[in-house]
Amino acid sequence: MTSNALKISGLTRRFGSTVALDDFNLEVGIGELVALLGPSGCGKTTALRIIAGLEKEDAGRVYLGDVDITMRPANKRNMGMVFQSYSLFPNLTVEENVAFGLQMRKVNKSQRVNRAHELLELVGLNSQSKRFPHQLSGGQQQRVALARALAYEPEVLLLDEPLSALDAQVRANLREEIRRLQLALGTTTLFVTHDQEEAMSISDRVGVMNHGKLEQIADPNTLYNQPATAFVAGFVGVMNRIPTKSQNGYVNIFGKDYEAQFIGSVSEDVIALVRPEKISVHASTVNSNAKLLMKSFLGSSTQLTCQLSDGLVIHALSDSQECNNLELGSLITLQYNSKKALVGSV
Amino acid sequence: MAPLRTKKSTSLIARVFLVCVGILVCLPLIGAAEFSLREGGRTKHSFHAYRWIFEQEDFSKTLLTTLQISLVAVFVTFFLMVPTVAWLHIQGKRYLRFVEVLTVLPLIIPVVALATGAALALPAWIQSSKYILSMMYVVLAMPFTFRALDIGMRGRQLDILVAAARSLGAKWWSIIFMIITPIILKSIFASIFLTVALSLGEFTFAQLLHWSTFPTWVAVAAQGNILGATALSVSALLSAWLLLFSFTFFDRKKQNEAK
Repeated sequence: MTSNALKISGLTRRFGSTVALDDFNLEVGIGELVALLGPSGCGKTTALRIIAGLEKEDAGRVYLGDVDITMRPANKRNMGMVFQSYSLFPNLTVEENVAFGLQMRKVNKSQRVNRAHELLELVGLNSQSKRFPHQLSGGQQQRVALARALAYEPEVLLLDEPLSALDAQVRANLREEIRRLQLALGTTTLFVTHDQEEAMSISDRVGVMNHGKLEQIADPNTLYNQPATAFVAGFVGVMNRIPTKSQNGYVNIFGKDYEAQFIGSVSEDVIALVRPEKISVHASTVNSNAKLLMKSFLGSSTQLTCQLSDGLVIHALSDSQECNNLELGSLITLQYNSKKALVGSV
Repeated sequence: MAPLRTKKSTSLIARVFLVCVGILVCLPLIGAAEFSLREGGRTKHSFHAYRWIFEQEDFSKTLLTTLQISLVAVFVTFFLMVPTVAWLHIQGKRYLRFVEVLTVLPLIIPVVALATGAALALPAWIQSSKYILSMMYVVLAMPFTFRALDIGMRGRQLDILVAAARSLGAKWWSIIFMIITPIILKSIFASIFLTVALSLGEFTFAQLLHWSTFPTWVAVAAQGNILGATALSVSALLSAWLLLFSFTFFDRKKQNEAK
């Protein structure tokens, strides 16, 4: 017996000389929402399509619970999928679209109509049930697609960048709706996205992918604060990369020594990885180590772009009120506020 | 104001052009219809020539044979071409241009060569059946049916729709009948019309393979009665038009329902 709803073991896929997936492993717990995050071409969509049965793997296995479904065709995997492009059937009404999966499972008409209305009610589109897809907005179409994928209670819900074609406001609303529905129905969900805000805001765990491999999988907080690789450190959130030297397990940042926490191999020439919010900025004419280049107001906080005396550009995040008195071009002092510093190799 | 005048004049040119084309298409048909209604002179008109058609012993027999051949050709076209073109759009996009070139071959290879090839290569059981003509008409209509279906499937994101249907549990035949067919209905009607029109008018193949069909009968019957032959031509043209308009009407009705 296993507590995993989905298990992927050693998945490999090549397209000619390009390796899309390289010994990819993943386990998703029952009722969990896991996001696969990574840059374009990292293999996340390929992984999702193989799990759905829409793409063939070169090697590896896919398990649904304890059952090996690697050889099972897509239509027999009982997974729901929402695609990046609008994928509603244009010849069917909203109601017929939502009921389609149930129709394929030979559920009688009255039951499937009732279930379709139940799901449409959940996504707030019951009043649109007799409309055709072209009469709906992009956001509404994706909500219908979500209802359609959930109507037959799939064992796993697969979301392939479902929000990327929508505008910012609709996107933010819909991602919250996805999370609300996922929690309400307890559906195990695998969500592919290249948008880290999307992944971090609604997922239980986030897996960061690079070159067909899973670099790290952890909850958003761990991923942000304790990245396992230099790639994850650089990809998730904004990270300053400050070249420095390590001596006796310490590194120098802005003129002070901090205990080094190494990611990867230990060497003398290293890169200190510093989050903008860990840097404090003070106006000063004496002992200044940088110059303020730009201020970007973000609401409660302000992003400050500073330049060190050696020319390196540093991003700092400061409380908007605290940095109100800082003038552009003025001399400032940067200070790193932590006991330990993440350090990567050059 | 200037753009408005341009739009108006463009619309006027379009209307004049439409009327000219209408005259060009309708005038010969009206002339032929008038000629087919003559009875012994220019002044007296009747349906004598049309009655003559129905009195001919082989008329209904050959027409029925041709319709049966057309029907089989339509079915074969549908079951062969729709899944093939759909597959090319879903998974075989790299072969699309190659197949497009292949489908032009029936226009390049002389009909005599095709008929001889059929007589030599096809198994005896199909050679002894009139439905060999259905197979030949599927091949002959392929340059047109392929293009009609190809145009209908372009820009429809069939790969995404099929992937969605598969993930929802649909089998391939459900996808063909419930998703692809309704989406490209207009193109399917166009390919059916083209196949039927070709079957109703094809002479050379039927003659070379020694089958008596409606066009071969018309060729023989026309030699003895010029008015009857004209009446036949007018009837055939009007039937084709009627078929085309009924497809268009049905398609419009479906589109209006969808709106």
